[in-house]
Amino acid sequence: MSFAVNALLKSPWVFHLSTGSCNNCDIEILDCLTPRYDIERFGMLLVGSIKHADVLLVTGSCNRKSAGRLKTLYEQAPQPCVVVAIGECSLSRGLFIHSYNCPVPLDKIIPVSVYIPGCPPKPEAIIGGVVKLIQKVKGT
Amino acid sequence: MRTREQVLKDLQTRFKDDIVDLLDKSPKRVYMEIKPEAIVRIGSYIFKDLEARFNIASGVDARSHIEILYHFSLEYINLLISLRVKLDREKPSIDSLANSFKAVNWVEREMSELLGIEFKGHPEMKRLLLPEEWPEGVYPLRADYEEWDKNAIRDRGV
Repeated sequence: MSFAVNALLKSPWVFHLSTGSCNNCDIEILDCLTPRYDIERFGMLLVGSIKHADVLLVTGSCNRKSAGRLKTLYEQAPQPCVVVAIGECSLSRGLFIHSYNCPVPLDKIIPVSVYIPGCPPKPEAIIGGVVKLIQKVKGT
Repeated sequence: MRTREQVLKDLQTRFKDDIVDLLDKSPKRVYMEIKPEAIVRIGSYIFKDLEARFNIASGVDARSHIEILYHFSLEYINLLISLRVKLDREKPSIDSLANSFKAVNWVEREMSELLGIEFKGHPEMKRLLLPEEWPEGVYPLRADYEEWDKNAIRDRGV
């Protein structure tokens, strides 16, 4: 593991992108930041720009218009950047699998490292997913 | 102040040739089926002279025809008037209301791309929601819509 990756894992900054979700997963992500769960004590910080982020959280079933914007964001992210898919919609498009506007799932557009299922997943599940991601990158 | 009966009677006498059917569904709800060529006259009368609020318009593909419902609410008598227009399914076409009031502009653009209804005289008819690569003449909310994208994946991969 390189020095840069080791340093980043101490404090992964996350950027949150909604690609057309119903906002329920987004609310659960915001719940992780409230004093009850408080992910900032693990050094995770929700940042306002992808250029500051190490982790990209994606919610929602990618539709035809947001797929292009998702690709642009992924290209702008500083490497190494890991992608976390949150919720049933971003895993397999859930209810919207036959929608005319959602042709391909998220992991056919950009590489995804962690999948967190649920509709919506609980904040504990989101925190658990990110912790598993850190362990996976560390190789422990 | 006008009452509910006065408003309905006024509409019925003023537009008696254009109203096909009037369904008095409940104290709060009236459906009025009108001829498509009279939509600008009746719609702008209800909006401007009766001082109604334009809520939304909804388009439905009913298989035998395509219909549009324009919903107006008259808050001073607590009444929702829905103007129902039935259009030919082969070539649905109606006059645009967007020159009478601006709120109908975007919903007409949306109905035009999703259901393929032509709005004659619309000031800026271009795409609102669908992406650029979407083919012309394919309307996703029609009942006989079929998949056109060969790259689409419709299984869950398990």
